[in-house]
Order: sequence, then structure tokens, then C-alpha cells
Amino acid sequence: MNRIRYSLFLLLISFFAACCSTTPPPSLEGELNVAEDERRLWQRAAQEQALLEGSGIIYREPALEAYLHQIAEKLQPLEVREKYNFRIRLLRDPYLNAFAFPNGVIYLHTGILSRLDNEAQLAALLAHEMTHCTHRHALRAFKGLKNENNLVLSLKQTVARIASTGDLLNLFGNTASMAAINGYAQYFETEADLVGLQLMARAGYDPGEALRLFEHLKQELETENLEEPFFFATHPQLQKRIENCKGFLAKLKQPAAQGIRNKEVFLDKTYQVILYNASLDLKAGRFRAALRGAEKYLTIRKDDSKAYFLVGEILRQRGEAEDEFRAKVFYEKAIALDPSCPDPYKGIGLIYFKEGDWTLAKRSFESSLALSPHMRDRAYIQGYLLECDKRGIAQ
Amino acid sequence: MKKLLCLIFLFMASCASLGQPVNPSKSGSGNFTLEYPEEWRKVTTGEYLMITRDGAFSQYILVQQRHVNRPFSHTKKSIDKGMLPQEAAQVILDEMTSDRAILNLQILENLPAAVNGYNGFRLVFTYQIKGGHKFKTLYYGFLQGEWFYSLRYNAADSRYSDKDVETFRQVLESFKITAA
Repeated sequence: MNRIRYSLFLLLISFFAACCSTTPPPSLEGELNVAEDERRLWQRAAQEQALLEGSGIIYREPALEAYLHQIAEKLQPLEVREKYNFRIRLLRDPYLNAFAFPNGVIYLHTGILSRLDNEAQLAALLAHEMTHCTHRHALRAFKGLKNENNLVLSLKQTVARIASTGDLLNLFGNTASMAAINGYAQYFETEADLVGLQLMARAGYDPGEALRLFEHLKQELETENLEEPFFFATHPQLQKRIENCKGFLAKLKQPAAQGIRNKEVFLDKTYQVILYNASLDLKAGRFRAALRGAEKYLTIRKDDSKAYFLVGEILRQRGEAEDEFRAKVFYEKAIALDPSCPDPYKGIGLIYFKEGDWTLAKRSFESSLALSPHMRDRAYIQGYLLECDKRGIAQ
Repeated sequence: MKKLLCLIFLFMASCASLGQPVNPSKSGSGNFTLEYPEEWRKVTTGEYLMITRDGAFSQYILVQQRHVNRPFSHTKKSIDKGMLPQEAAQVILDEMTSDRAILNLQILENLPAAVNGYNGFRLVFTYQIKGGHKFKTLYYGFLQGEWFYSLRYNAADSRYSDKDVETFRQVLESFKITAA
């Protein structure tokens, strides 16, 4: 037993050593069974993708998916696209992350997409992930470690420390493609950053936006006090990657102002996912992130009652000083924009109910039930109405 | 979900070592007591009490109490002692929605309900875990002082039965809090 533990310990050490090493990355040249290994890797990737597709966590919006593919196609020449058949999928997950399977399937969390400012930043993200595929980082990582189980074990140990990632690993299972989730060793990430910048610049995008993506997200991580997501938890850490990015940009010598950014188009294509992700942040109890997402959405769709309702919900559920007062304002705005929606009446009714204002609570609950007599939580509403009557009479 | 799996394994281990149950028809854990049929076997660990008839992967009844200050694993929300039952139910659902080990969660019912006089909520939901196994859960929860109590009957979708639901109803009716 002790020997097994000692072996596992050595395997772990070897993994971390591989990650931190400055020695050249494993090469595939001269390897006899590369094709067979790659075939197995792709096969496993396909199995895990099938699991993901049936898991209910895929965010489906055909128009947005088409847009994402369109950007991906701009970044790669035809012969590369023919080999990898890149597909961009969205996961319903508020954490900031993106990862690539070796067979060209790239997963973006709704969390990271909703935080991007423009198409150039999206291109930077996609180009980085595509490079992991085209430069066969998963396969090279395995060749570097020699032992597949060792990698899996090490990844589990590493990723388990990040709350938002442990669940995903459990979902994916002990397979080779986990390398794609955790990110790669320093030399692979550096390579993906460099090649990604070249790809986006070649496609006409402003490469300076890659830097802004890093800086913008670093600032968000700091202000939100978030645990680092995988995209940035990889080696080198975010600050180092920012420095690398600055160095690469200096070498590119491309006038940044001439590059494409496409902010308006990007926001027009992604506004729905921004609001959806804000609701995920709310469920996860990340109130500040949820509020920021909903407020960003309101800068794009200024008169959308759903967003005002969501802000009301975030404030009501957070319950900090002044939140309930502010929540009422947002609920009222939602009602003013769409008087036919029952939910803001219900939200405002809950606040009055907890404040002990039985008359206004009753009026609000009655309005919500009148608008939607068969609403899912009508049993709760009917209970509140009875309570309002009872308490109102007692007063 | 991981803690629940640990409990299940703990339960299986205890079953293996205990052999036949010794008339465990009334039991207490934490600050509550309840009654259950003799053919169901139990494992108690602090704030948890789990009983099953055929094995935890077939069905179980799990009773838990958690302090309102105890954080959840997947949502950063917490249950506040001033919450309405509907708000507490929402936190439980948000915890499950944010748990990546729970797939295809479907909420079938979310209603106000009482557990032996304690006002709370009742949820019915189905979900899957990795590998496609589907489960159905009948969940009651309520707040009492600084504690949140939950009682659930969970079974593999194909093993969910009226007979077990009736057993669960008897457990609910016998549930008593022994100390504040």
C-alpha cells in the first residue's frame, strides 16, 4: 500500500514538474504511434462530447452559434478547417472559462462570452483555443507525461482546488480529454497566446483587444474576488500572460487602431446570452456579477422589462441595505414597460409582505394572479393572500 | 452530491457490518426524532439520518438539519432564518441547479407544505447523474429557529413507489424536534 502511495506521490510530482519545467515541450516527431494515439484521443473526446450534449447544460441559440462559427472560420485557412471541422458550443455556466477538445470542438462558458466587449476579444479567445487543437497540445501533453492515468490523477488533484471545476471534472470523467479542461502547461499556453494573436491579426482583428481581454477579465476577477477560472488558472498565471501578450504585440508592429473590433455587431448577437448568464449568476448567488450582467444587458436593450425584473430579483434576493427599496423601483419600471407580466407584481408583493404592508402586498399578489391564474407558484401566492387578509384584519 | 454519495457508501459499509437490523423503528439524530418501519435500516452521522429498505442506490429517506450559517457547496446563497418557505425552496433549487453533478433537473412540483405542523415547502423533482441514471425525489423543507430541516425520499426512477411514499409520509408525521 505504501509503495502505491509513494508511486502516486512521485507521479504527482512528475506532473507538476512537467507543468513548471522550462525544458522544451514534448515533440511528436519520430513517434511511431502518434496517429493511433491521436485517433484514441479524438474517440474519447467524441464520447465526452456526447455526454455533454445530453447533459442539459448546452446553451442552444442557433443564430448565436452560427455567428460564433463565422468568427472561427475567419481565423483559420480552409485546409485547417477541413481537418478540424471546428465547432463552437456554449455551456450554461457562469464561471469564466473556455476549453478545447483535441478534435476541434471548443466549449465557451456563457460566463466568459457574456463578459467580452467585442468581436475582436471573442476572436482572441477562439484563436487561443483553436491553437490548442491545431498544435495538438493534448497529444503532446500525453506524450510528455508518458502515462495517461498519471495525468488524469494529477489533473484531479489540481482542479479539485477550484470549486467551479471539480463538478465539471466529475461530469467529464477520467478520460484523456480532461487535459483540455484544466488548461495546459506553460509552453503550450504561451504558444496558444502567441499563435492566437497572429491568427486574429491575420484575420484583420485588432490584436490589442487580446490584451484588453486579459486586463478586463483580471480586473473583474479582482473586483469580484472570484476564484480563478481555468482559462486563467493555467500556467503561466494571468499577470505573466499579460506581460507575454504585451511582448508579442510589440513584435507584431501592427497599428492597433486599424483592426476590426465590431462591438455593436457582437453585442447585438450576444445580448440574450448576457441576460441568461446574469440569471445563472443569480442562481449561483454571485449577486454582484449578476447585477453587472443585467446592467450590461440594459445598456444594449434599454427598454426590456425582463432585465428590469431580473435586477429587481437580484436586489431583493441579495437583501443588503437599500436593496429592497431599489428592487421596488426596478420592479415598477418592469411593470411600466410590460404591465402584462405577472412576475414583477409578485416580486414587489413579496417585499411588501415581508415589510408587513398587507394592503399593498395583497394588491400586488392579486395583480400577479389576475395576470396568470395558473402560474406555477400560485399555491404560495394564495397562501400569502390568506395571510394578508388575516393580518390585515388583525390590525 | 459528493457528500450524499459518501453517505451512501458509509451506509453500505454499515449494512455490511451490521447484518440484520436490530429493531431500529425509532431513531434520533441531531435534535430530532422520527419513526420508521422495522424493515428499513439506518445510518446516522451527526446532522444526517438515512434509512433504506433495499439499498441506498434503490431508495432512501434522508433527513438533515443544517444551521442557517452553514454555506452551501454550489450556490453562494444562504438560507436566512427570516426567509419565507418559498424563498428557502428557491435556495435549495438554486443549489441543485448550480451542481454540475446533477443533470437534466426537472422540477415537477414546488408547493407550500407542512411537516407535522412545521410550515415549509414541498418539492418533487427528477434528475440524472453521469451515466444516465435517473432519480426522483420528494423533498420537504422548513425553517425552525436557526436550523433548516429537510426530509427527502429519493429513489431510482424505476423504483419510486407509492408504497415507499406512504412510508415517507409516516416518517414525516412522526418527525419531532426535540430541542431548539
